[in-house]
Parts: sequence; C-alpha cells; structure tokens
Amino acid sequence: MSAPSAQDVCVIGGGVTGAGIARDLSLRGLSVLLLEKSDWGGGTTGSSSWMIHGGPRYLEFDWDTTRLSTQDAGYIVSIARNMVYRVVFIIPVLPHDKNNIERMETAMEVYDRFQPLKHAHPHVRLTAEEAREAEPGLSPDIIGAVTMEEWGVDPHRLVFANVQDAVAHGTRALNHTRVVDLLRDGGKVIGVRYRGSDGSMSEARAKVVVNAAGPWVPEVGRMAGAAVHLRPAKGIHIVYPHRISNFSISAESIDGRDLLLVSHAGFTLLGTTDDDFYGDLDSVDVLEDEVDYLLQAFERVFPSIRDYRPVRTTTGVRPTLFKWRRYEDELSRRYEVIDHAPDGAEGFVTIAGGKLSMYRLMAEETSDAVCRKLGHQAPCVTATRPLPGNESDVEPADELGRAFGITALAAMKLQTRQGSNAAAVLKEARSGRMVCRCEPITEAELVHAARHEQVRTLADAFRRVGLAAGPCAGTACVLRAAGVIGNELGWSASQRFDAAREFVRGAWLGRAPILGHSGWAQEEMASGAMRGLRN
Amino acid sequence: MARTDSLAKLAFAYGVHLTRRRLTRPRSQFASLLETYAPDGIRPLLPEERERHPQLIGCINCGLCALAAGRIGSVRPPDLATSYMRLYARLGAAASDLVGESPDLAAAASACPVGVPLDEVAAIVRRLAAG
Repeated sequence: MSAPSAQDVCVIGGGVTGAGIARDLSLRGLSVLLLEKSDWGGGTTGSSSWMIHGGPRYLEFDWDTTRLSTQDAGYIVSIARNMVYRVVFIIPVLPHDKNNIERMETAMEVYDRFQPLKHAHPHVRLTAEEAREAEPGLSPDIIGAVTMEEWGVDPHRLVFANVQDAVAHGTRALNHTRVVDLLRDGGKVIGVRYRGSDGSMSEARAKVVVNAAGPWVPEVGRMAGAAVHLRPAKGIHIVYPHRISNFSISAESIDGRDLLLVSHAGFTLLGTTDDDFYGDLDSVDVLEDEVDYLLQAFERVFPSIRDYRPVRTTTGVRPTLFKWRRYEDELSRRYEVIDHAPDGAEGFVTIAGGKLSMYRLMAEETSDAVCRKLGHQAPCVTATRPLPGNESDVEPADELGRAFGITALAAMKLQTRQGSNAAAVLKEARSGRMVCRCEPITEAELVHAARHEQVRTLADAFRRVGLAAGPCAGTACVLRAAGVIGNELGWSASQRFDAAREFVRGAWLGRAPILGHSGWAQEEMASGAMRGLRN
Repeated sequence: MARTDSLAKLAFAYGVHLTRRRLTRPRSQFASLLETYAPDGIRPLLPEERERHPQLIGCINCGLCALAAGRIGSVRPPDLATSYMRLYARLGAAASDLVGESPDLAAAASACPVGVPLDEVAAIVRRLAAG
C-alpha cells in the first residue's frame, strides 16, 4: 500500500452530483480527491432520460421542486450551451384519459410561469388535426394536444465536463476506483481506503469525506456507521437508434402514469418505469414485461411504435428519499444534505435524493456545507462559469469538416461532445479516419478520449464519445475501436480481443429484452461479424 | 402540506383557465409552433414519410450498397441510411455533405438485404437538411 495522500475533501461517487461537487469545491480553492467505482456517469446519471427538465409533474405535489429545478436547469443550459438542445413534446389527449385537455392545458399554463427560468418557450394548444399534422403518426383517436418544451443533454458528457473542469482546478479524479472502507479516528471520519483500477490498495486522508454515491449512499454510509434511508426506484428506457419523430410525445400508461418518448440528437428514448427496487444495485436487469408495459402505453397514441427496431435498453436506480405509504410515482425528487456529526461521524457529509436537472444546485449546497465545516469562505461560481468547450460559440460544422477532411456531420457531432474544443481534438491526432460510421466518430476523437478523457474500456468509450451507440450497435466498430484504444493504452492483441468481448457481453444484457423482427436480422449479422466474441 | 397547497393552487388555475376559455375565442397556434422551432430543426415529417418511416430506417449497416453505388455528394450510401437518416435536429449543419451528384440508388437498394429504399432515404434527408 502506498503512503496516504492528503487533501481537504474526498468525494465518493462520480455521477453528475459528485462531479459537480468536485468542480464546485476545486473552483473555491480546496484540494479534492474524486473517486468513482466504475466510470464517470456510469450509474444513475447515465441511465436517466437525458433531459434537463423542470418536472411539470411535480406541480401536483410540490411547486418548490419545480421552481428550483427550472431555475437550476436555466443555469445548466447557460454553462453547457454547446451540449444542450431543445426537446419539444406533444402531449396528446385521448378520450377517457386521466387528464382532459382543459386540465392538461391548465398544467401547462402554470408550467409556463416557470419556463422563462430555463430559457424555454411557452406551451401551444393544438386541435387533433393540427397535432396530427405536426406528427402524422399520432392516433386518429386523439381529441387535442398541448406542447411543452424541455432541454436535452448527453449526461455522460455533462458529467465528464464537470470532471474535466475539476481536474483543471487541481482535483485528482480516479475512475474504476472503489472505496472499500473509511478511515476513522474515534468519532471522526478522516479519509478513505480504496482499490485502484490496477487492484492496488491506497489510502487518502481528507478533512471532510462527501458521500455522493447516488443509490449506493446507504452502503457508503454504513462504512461510517451512519444510517441513510433511501427508497430506491428502478427505471428502464428503450433506446431507438434514430429519431422516430422530430417531436417528442407523451403517453399515459395502463396505470395512469405519464410516459415519454423523447427525441434526442439522433436517437429516441422511450421510458420510463418507476418501481421500488430491493435487489443488487450492481446488477439491475431489464425485464421483457417492463418493455411491454412501455410499448403498450405508446401504442395507444402512436400505433406504429412496434414497427420500429429498438437497439438496446438502459436501466438505473433512482436514489429517491425514503417515504412510507406513497406510490413510487408520487415520491418527491427533493434532496437532502446530511451532516453526520450528530450520528458520531464527524467529517462525513451525505447528499441524497435529487435529480439530474438540479445537480448543480445540489453540488452548491453540499459544497456550502463542506466549506462551513472547514471554515473556508469562498463563493460558488458554478452558476455562471461555462463548462469546458462552452466558453465560446462553435465554428460552422462544414468549415471545421473541410479543414480536417471529415464530413460536416462528423464535425457537427464532434462539436456536440467537445464544443469549441473540437478543432483542438482533431489537430492533436490528425486522423479523420472513421472508426464508427453510425455515430460518426473519428480516430482522432477516440485517440483523444484514450489520452485525455480517462477511457480505459470500450464501455468508457461508449459513454465518452458514443461508440457503438448507433443503428449497428457496434457491429462495424467494436474491434476497430479496440485497436485504436489498445494502441494508446499499450494493450496486447489478446487484451484488445478481451476488451471487445467484455463490451459485447455487457451490451447483450441490454439488447436481449428488446430483440424482435429486424432486430434478430441485425443480431445474426453481428454474430457473424464478431465471431468468437460471445463465446 | 406542500401537496395540499399545490392542489389548491392548481384548482384555482383551472378555474381561471375555464373562465378564460369561455370568454375568449381560441386562435390556431400551429403556425407559430412551426415557426418557433424551425431554427432548432424540429419539423414535422410528411404523412407519406411517416408511413414509410419504419422501412426507411431499417438499415443494419452491412455495407453492401456501398459496393453497388458511389457517393451522394461526399456521403457513402450506408452512411446516408444509418447516420444521416438518424435525422439529427442539426441536420441542416451537414447539408453541404449532400451537395453533388447522385449515384444509381436503385442499384444500391437492390443490393440491400433488408430492403431499404435508398432513393426515398436520400429524398427525406435532403428535404430536412435543406430546412
């Protein structure tokens, strides 16, 4: 074991909240160690609906959550402007829906009061004919619709942009590093013991340890002898590798829940479920029943949904605050910053609950609590300071593409991930060769990710640059990408093959529940192309 | 308490909404919807495009069409059917990729094992990229 390092704060958990806390504290001048057991955004953050949204559904329960959420969404949209895009929902109303058109429009009129906080437009009411002109795939049975605007974002890039900025300001950030125990001195937590990606054990001393482990906060809390009560809720999404519709669509499920088909930048997410979860947080499976539950709801408003070929599913567990005698859907998305000093764990702080669109505010309040404990006075600047790549406007994609011999589409996609740093990424490796044509991803971007973005596995590359996220689900690019990354990281031929096999096996778990129709045709071809990887 | 308060405020807003609906004549907001979101590339599919859409996005990226036909502008046919046909909102930013000659897309489509109609794919991508 190496000699313990020492810093002001150790943050456990590399989701968007943990990364946001590390960024906030390092910008306030504190030394920070950020530890993540898998990859940045590899847990709940990455399996979200990819939206910075205000949550109109919380208007029924708690207007304060909607206000805080839209306000913070406005800040995030400003600091991450090259990463976000508008998502416009058509909310169709069918006869006998839980909410009739007047009630639905009332909710949108109320939500419109909050929309300016996140730079969004007010709603529009559509007749049934107008709604079907906007989206011809809607059911002929609808009797009207209202619209609602939200923001889409790639949560993996959002997390990593926070990590990048934290590192630029002195944070030491380690992914694939698992905290195995907390160091204690009587009633005080004084650091962490962790296992690095190479298996070696290390210790780090810290004046404050922050537990930002999402649904794993009770587990980390137990290491300090502190009880944290959550009511974890599982959610799944079906992923389609195209925009099924340019407008996003909402639908009512058989049990009256609001489900969403969200049109993102080149793909569609359909979700989500919300079920109490009691299983192993490190092994959450998607069930075919859950897939059918979602499709059944959307068939009512968008009858051709089953004609579309999904490419995979995602699943995650929400770290919802504990509440007895409530349906899962009625649980608040509020958060709580807990100082465990009264529990006999001085120097240990937990952030629990919350949602993606409030991550910055959660990070600010947690950082405030940490600074109070340390007697450190420095203001939070994360509401206005742009994230890396968002400091200036991007150049036109066709000009960038011409300068580096790649298509304008490839340049445009690169800009959605790297913002105004796109040219610098292409300059470094100077290879415009396409590794993944669906996304599309150049060799230069993959080399950059391996050199500078802590990509250590192909699944990390999926999160960082969207490798294998497209319609062919990696058939054409996985082995090629293993070669490029392996070259940078010094992998042997068998290590490259093992990396590809590990990725294909992991991807299969998300694909199996949705295969059908042409999905199996794709699968047959993939099996042939990646012969041996599944053995 | 928060829930009671929220429901009461919503009930009041509902009353105001119903009253306003009775007192004012509704006007179509459809044109303003399209105008508002056109700069973001959020445009409706045409009914005929919607009907054919599941077939248009059926490409499994086997690459056989690239052997049967040349590029559309600077784009290989399989890239058109997989990448461009994902219909990114910012597709307009990539319109320059499609400028140039069109190859024999019928020949390309006849090589396709899942029957993607590449001429229709090219038409929809060009329409949406042009804005």
